[in-house]
Amino acid sequence: MVSLKDIVPAAQNNIDTKFILLDKGSKTIQGHNETCLALVADETAAVHFQLWGDECDAFEPGDIIQLANGIFSYNRNSLVLRAGKRGKVHKVGEFTMVFVETPNMSEIRWIPDPSNSNKYIQEAVISPHSRIFPPKY
Amino acid sequence: MPLNLSRIASHEVENPTDLSLRGAFELLEPKLRPPFALTIPTPQEYLLLNKAILHGVLCETHFAKTHIKHLHAIVTDGYGLFVSLVAKVTNELYVKLVEPVKCQLIWVAKEMIDVQAVGVHDLLVCFLRQIVGGDFSDGNLWLCFEIVSILLTKWDCLLEVEPMILTSGLYTYLRLLADHSRLLSNPKLEALKQLEIDFCIKVLREQFSVCLKIGRDLVRLLQDLVHLPNFRAVWKDLVLNPGNFKTPGFSKISQLYNTRTSSQYSLLRITPEMETQLRFLLTYVKLGSQKRYQAWFAKKFLCEPNRETLIVDIVRFICCAHHPTNEIIQSDILPRWAVVGWLLNHCTKNYVQANVKLALLYDWLFFDERVDNIMNIEPAMLLMVYSLPRYIDVTHTLLEFLFLLVDSYDVEHKDNMVKCVSSSFSVLVKKGVIRSLDVLTSCDALSPLLKERLGKLLSGAGGKNYIPWGVVGALKTYRCIV
Repeated sequence: MVSLKDIVPAAQNNIDTKFILLDKGSKTIQGHNETCLALVADETAAVHFQLWGDECDAFEPGDIIQLANGIFSYNRNSLVLRAGKRGKVHKVGEFTMVFVETPNMSEIRWIPDPSNSNKYIQEAVISPHSRIFPPKY
Repeated sequence: MPLNLSRIASHEVENPTDLSLRGAFELLEPKLRPPFALTIPTPQEYLLLNKAILHGVLCETHFAKTHIKHLHAIVTDGYGLFVSLVAKVTNELYVKLVEPVKCQLIWVAKEMIDVQAVGVHDLLVCFLRQIVGGDFSDGNLWLCFEIVSILLTKWDCLLEVEPMILTSGLYTYLRLLADHSRLLSNPKLEALKQLEIDFCIKVLREQFSVCLKIGRDLVRLLQDLVHLPNFRAVWKDLVLNPGNFKTPGFSKISQLYNTRTSSQYSLLRITPEMETQLRFLLTYVKLGSQKRYQAWFAKKFLCEPNRETLIVDIVRFICCAHHPTNEIIQSDILPRWAVVGWLLNHCTKNYVQANVKLALLYDWLFFDERVDNIMNIEPAMLLMVYSLPRYIDVTHTLLEFLFLLVDSYDVEHKDNMVKCVSSSFSVLVKKGVIRSLDVLTSCDALSPLLKERLGKLLSGAGGKNYIPWGVVGALKTYRCIV
């Protein structure tokens, strides 16, 4: 299980993590499927999570979600975590998880690692908080 | 293919208790049909067999009696394990159980009472806790009806096993009656209400000596019901003719006032899920980060119509049953007074707000340093102090209400309440909950009338109880070890 602060963009479905859903955007159609962007977080960081198909209605703010074999990558120019075709998301609880809203891993500019071009490293913080789901309180 | 006990939403993991009962049933299914094996099971087999039988009872309605016979044949522990499994299902899964399983759960509880199983009291407490205050949904009223019927029909048996079951039932139903008697012209509710009245009056009239053990919250709940004739009569006897209860040793209402109510009672009115969330909020969430949690909690438990009365129970739970450790008090974790402030602000109806303030200040009226816990009165004090100066309305409304209670809650005992409230203030300062009362007495924004009243109250407490305000520093380590 990886902490959200340690996830790095990659073209691999290998992220196992757990987080709490803080906020949900409205549904949009991508191809033939509904998608919905959500703000999720654990005690180390937040990130944008893309819900797909029936996932959009299955989760509500306050739900604790376990992600298996997820992928953190660019989707139409925005950096999102999602289950993807090979991953799975499950509701495992509610409410009882602490979280932080900053840093937001989707609001970081990543560049290829000069010493290993297969990897990304953080270049700069674009915004400390989500610009799509600005802090509510 | 055995069924699940509970509903599972899409993308939701299965509950481990549900899974383990079903797993045991699947494993032992051939052995669950007569003729039953005569071999004596090992402890491991015994556990599995208990789980399998419970799953059978809950899911195979038509075989339930056979499964129970099987249980009677194999039981070696006074049904302790079996009852603990039923309690676990009730605590963890009740809300999600499918309807026929809920009916079976009630049925098996009755069976366990009939055999006077070990742990029956705890099991009934689990059911009582699943009844939600302020919830008028069919499912919740059905559970109210089933449990009060059990308490009435199994009366003799319960009295023999453990009379305290009756006081747990009494506390619950007095509180529910306050809700149920407010909503008129609902014939279905009328029948339930009558059963609830019959039960409460029977406990009060026939078993008053056990009722005494509830202590002062019994008075608080009864006061909310004096508009109902039977309770008005009980109230009259309590105040004027204590002898009518024919309880040796009971001669005056102040005996109830002087008995602090055990936190077990405030827990009765909070579901396990609410308890988990509230305790999490007050143990792990930092002050400043609570807003999302509060919104989730409110959405889940407080938003539906009439649910507001639940806030009274939550405040009582926070004051009496959730006492944080010194480490948490000294940390940046969300303090209890802040949650109480939020809840108070959440009340829209005046009578609910009054009852919430009463719940918050109730222990002040009878505070006795020797038997009472300072943690019960701490949230109100800190809420008054930390609301200054920005939320002075809160300070005003709480102080006003406190004086109103002293003046009118029970005029016969006013002198004693003056003493107790005054002692509350002095103990709160002595123990360092607040550095000094100057923060109130010298606050320019505080209403002069209240300041004067407060000054009078405090100076009246002169003599041996007098504490030179301001001498004792805020120690912040005041949690009483009781």
